[in-house]
Amino acid sequence: MLKMNHLSKVYRTHLIETHALRDFSIHVREGEFVAVTGPSGSGKTTFLNIAGLLEEFSGGEFWVDGVDVRGMNDDQRSRLRNEKIGFIFQGFNLIPDLNLFDNVDVPLRYRGFSAADRKRRIEETLSRVGLASRMKHYPAELSGGQQQRVAIARALAGSPRLLLADEPTGNLDSLMARGVMELLEEINRQGTTIIMVTHDPELAARAQRNVHVIDGQVTDFDAEPQLRVPAGNDAAVALA
Amino acid sequence: MEIRPILSALMRSKVALVLIGLQIALTLAIVCNALFIVSQRLQLMSRDSGMNEADTFTIGSLGFGAGFNIKTSIEEDMAMLRSLPGVAAAAPTNTVPLSNGGWSTGVSLKPEQKTSTASSAMYFVDEQGLDTFGAKLAEGRFFTADEITFREPGDNSWPPVTVITRALANKLFPGESAVGKQLYFDNEGAPQTVVGVVERMQVPWIGFASDEGPDAEFYSSFVPQRVAFGNFGRYLVRAEPGRRDEVMKAAEAKMTQTNQSRIVREPRTLERIRAEGYQEHRAMTIILIGVIVALLAVTALGIVGMASFWVTQRTKQIGTRRALGATRSSILRYFMTENFLITSLGLALGIVLTYGLNYWLMANYEAQRLPLIYLGGGMIALLLLGQAAVFGPATRASRVPPAVATRSV
Repeated sequence: MLKMNHLSKVYRTHLIETHALRDFSIHVREGEFVAVTGPSGSGKTTFLNIAGLLEEFSGGEFWVDGVDVRGMNDDQRSRLRNEKIGFIFQGFNLIPDLNLFDNVDVPLRYRGFSAADRKRRIEETLSRVGLASRMKHYPAELSGGQQQRVAIARALAGSPRLLLADEPTGNLDSLMARGVMELLEEINRQGTTIIMVTHDPELAARAQRNVHVIDGQVTDFDAEPQLRVPAGNDAAVALA
Repeated sequence: MEIRPILSALMRSKVALVLIGLQIALTLAIVCNALFIVSQRLQLMSRDSGMNEADTFTIGSLGFGAGFNIKTSIEEDMAMLRSLPGVAAAAPTNTVPLSNGGWSTGVSLKPEQKTSTASSAMYFVDEQGLDTFGAKLAEGRFFTADEITFREPGDNSWPPVTVITRALANKLFPGESAVGKQLYFDNEGAPQTVVGVVERMQVPWIGFASDEGPDAEFYSSFVPQRVAFGNFGRYLVRAEPGRRDEVMKAAEAKMTQTNQSRIVREPRTLERIRAEGYQEHRAMTIILIGVIVALLAVTALGIVGMASFWVTQRTKQIGTRRALGATRSSILRYFMTENFLITSLGLALGIVLTYGLNYWLMANYEAQRLPLIYLGGGMIALLLLGQAAVFGPATRASRVPPAVATRSV
C-alpha cells in the first residue's frame, strides 16, 4: 500500500540544512494498522506529510498503492491524494462555516462524484460514525469527539485505500479518545489501511505494528506484526 | 461548481457580506449615474455650434473722448479689417455662440400675442454675417447690403427682414418652409419677413430656454443691423484657413494704430470662447470622472482587502482543502466564485439603488432617465473589477501548501 525506500527530506535555508528524514524506509501492506511514534521533532509529521503527498521529498523512492509518486506535479499529487488517501487531523480541521453534510462533501466535490452519489456517500459515512441525525449542524455545535467523528466520516467518504491519522485523539479526553480509537479499529477491520502518528503509547499499543522514529530515521519496529491478510501473501513487515 | 456551499458559508459572515455588497451597490449606483451625466456633458460640449470656430476670432473696440463716433468707427474698422491680408470675411456682431452674453427676445406668429411661440437669440450682423460666421444657408437668401441699417440707441423697432435657424423655423412653422413667412420679434410692432433659413447657429447661452426643449439652444435669428453698446463695438473676423493667429495679431495692431481714441479689447478666438463657455461643464466632468475613478479604486481596494483578510484567516482551511484533494486551480476558482457571488449580490441591490438615484436626480435636477446600457455596462465593469481585484489574493490562496493542514499553529 505504501512503500518508501531510502527516502530523505532536507529543509534548506541559505544558512542551514535540516535533515528531517534520512534513509527512511518503510513498507506498509494493505490492511495494516501502523502506529508511528517518536519524540517531538523526530520527523513523524514530516513522514506523515510525505506519505500523504502533502510535501515533496528530497531523495529516495516512494510508492502509494503501486503508483510511483516521483516526478508527479502538484495537480497529479492532489488527484492521487483525493482518490486514495483520507486524512484525520489532530485539530479535526473541519470548516466552521459549513454544516456536517457540506464538510463531508468537500473531498467528494473535488473527486467529481455526481450529486446523488455524493449524497449517498455522505449519508452512509455520517451514519457509520453515528452522526446521521446531525447533518445540518455546524462543527461548533458538536463536542470534540463528535467533530473528530465527522472528520473521520469526511476521510472515509471517498473510500480511500489509505487513512493517515495525525494524533487523532490528541485533542480529546480519554473517553472520547477511546471512542475514536474504536472507530478507527473498526474501519481497519473492514479493510482500510491506517497509519497513525501518536505520542500516546497506549494507543500505539492497540495498533498491529509500531514504528518508532528518532532523528528522521526508523529506530525500532515490531518484528512480528499481526496481519489480517490471506496466508501465502508476503505479509511480513518489510523495513529495510 | 461550489456555489451552494460558498453561498451557505457566506451567509455565516453576514456583516462582511453586507458591507462589501453595500459598497458595490453604492458604487454601481453612483458610477452609472455619474457616467451618464459625464456622457451627457461630453455630448453637450461636442455639439457643433454651426459656425466656423477654427478660423474665427472676435475683437472689440471701446471708444472714449468727445470726438469718438461709434458708427463711423465701425464703418472704418470694417473697411480696414476686410482689407487685411489673410482675412476671409469680417462683420460687426453683438455676440457669438457660447459667449454667455447677448440679446434674446420672444418670437410670435401673431401681433400682440400674449405668450411667445419661441425664444430666440438675436445676432446683429451686416451682409457679410453669413460668410463671416461660416454658417450654411439652407433656404432662401442672406441679407443684401442695402438692407443693413445702424441700430440707433433707443430704437426699439426691428428691420422688416430676418434670417432664422432651421431649428427655430421648425418650431415656428413645422412641416413647411419658413421662407416668406412673417413673425414678430418682441410680440409687437411691424412683422418681420423670413428671407432665409440657416442650417444651424447655437445661441450664446448654454441651457438657453431649456423649458422649450433641447433644440432651443439653436433658436437663433439674424438681424440686418450694425449695433453698438454705447461706444463699444464688437467684430467677428474669419481668417483664411491656418492664418487665424497671425491675422488676429495684425488686426489688434492695426486697430490700435488707426484710432487712438479707443481701447482695443483683447481679441479672443472662438476656440477660447468655447473653452470658457463650457468651463463649468468641463470642471464638473473632471470632478465626476475623479469620483468614478476614486469609487472604483476604493471598491477594488475593499475587495482586495476583504479577500486578503479572508485568505489569511482561512489559511488552515485552504491547506485542509488542498490536503483533501483540491488542486491549486480549485482554490483559485473557489475565491473567484466567492467574489463573483458577493459582487452579484451587491449588484442586485445596486440595480435598485441606481434607479432610485436616477429617479431622485430626475425629480430634482432635470436629469434624464438612465439608459439600460449604462446599468449593464456598469454591472459588467464591476464584475470584471471584482474578479481582477480578487485575482491577487486568490492566487496567493492557491499557493498555500497542503502541508499547512498538519501544522498545529
